[in-house]
Amino acid sequence: MSDDRKQDDEAFGERVARLLRPVERFDDNFETDLVSAIRADRTIETRPLALAWWSTPRTLRLSPLVGLAMAASLAAVVSLGTLGLARTRSHGLEPKLAMVHDTVNVVRFVFVGQAKTVSLVGDFNAWGAQPVSLERTGTDGAWTASVPLHNGRHEYAFIVDGQRWVADPFAPSTSDEFNTSSSIITVGS
Amino acid sequence: MTTRTDAELVAAASSGDVDAFAMLSRRYRDAYTRFAIRMVGNRDEAEDVLQSAFIRAFRALRSCRDPARFSAWLYRIVANECRTYVVRRARRERRIVRDEVAFEAAGVDPAVDARETLEDVEYALAQLDVDQREAFLMKHVEDLSYEEMADITGVGVSALKMRVKRACARLRELLEEVHDV
Repeated sequence: MSDDRKQDDEAFGERVARLLRPVERFDDNFETDLVSAIRADRTIETRPLALAWWSTPRTLRLSPLVGLAMAASLAAVVSLGTLGLARTRSHGLEPKLAMVHDTVNVVRFVFVGQAKTVSLVGDFNAWGAQPVSLERTGTDGAWTASVPLHNGRHEYAFIVDGQRWVADPFAPSTSDEFNTSSSIITVGS
Repeated sequence: MTTRTDAELVAAASSGDVDAFAMLSRRYRDAYTRFAIRMVGNRDEAEDVLQSAFIRAFRALRSCRDPARFSAWLYRIVANECRTYVVRRARRERRIVRDEVAFEAAGVDPAVDARETLEDVEYALAQLDVDQREAFLMKHVEDLSYEEMADITGVGVSALKMRVKRACARLRELLEEVHDV
């Protein structure tokens, strides 16, 4: 491109841009709305009813039939979790799933690896807004947490030692626009 | 009072401190508002897009690998959100979006005696494809260097220069058409 043409383009760009350049501002309600939206989003994502059940199981009132079903299902959780742990010693990481009743599913997440702390983040807890800590099991290097999830597709990852993002290499994965991998679990299908 | 750094606020927000994230929003919101409005072409829709981008950023904070460079990371999310919105809207409905507030402003703009009015330029800008619009706004309105643009968009400097050049050429054509009517 000739220098004249280049200068002409620059001048044209500048002339047009000048009209677009006045500063624009939204008012302070922007943050008020933003905070409300995030808090609302967290409420939706974390499913307060399910978490209430999880944190205070003794307050749950159930019919005898549902209670029997739940007891059987919880046994299945432990059983599946144990099986999962046996497998994940060679596979690494694997979430396990059992149906408690038709709306809440308890998924047992197992992480095997050297760590001081392990937490679970996912779309179900607003990616760590209310982090779930995994607890050490009796087996060396194994960490577990059980999380109530509603039916559907969920994305998750583990945070090791508070900073290392680890996706499950044996689960289907997805990447965001920054090429950060997360794992996918589909519940209830 | 000590001002908390971006890295400190990002760390707090990553742990679920929404107020810390609101402080980050206050710190950077104005820097992206003009870009969002010019990209989207409508003030109200731009506010929604910016809100959506910031919520997405909050969700993804743990993937912000360099919290000290939070502003560039956030700019990338804002730019992506604007692009996605514009492309989806164009698929939904082929139309020209005009901002009533901008129309009113155009009437009293001190640059109204220039050859183009704000209304003309917004109309022309809305006709550009999203890549060219983004490149033109970043270069000529936001005054970013090509290196900064490359960091934000992930597109090479040469390609960005070409987009800006084509954007200018297309804008020139469109504005000439407007004046010929």
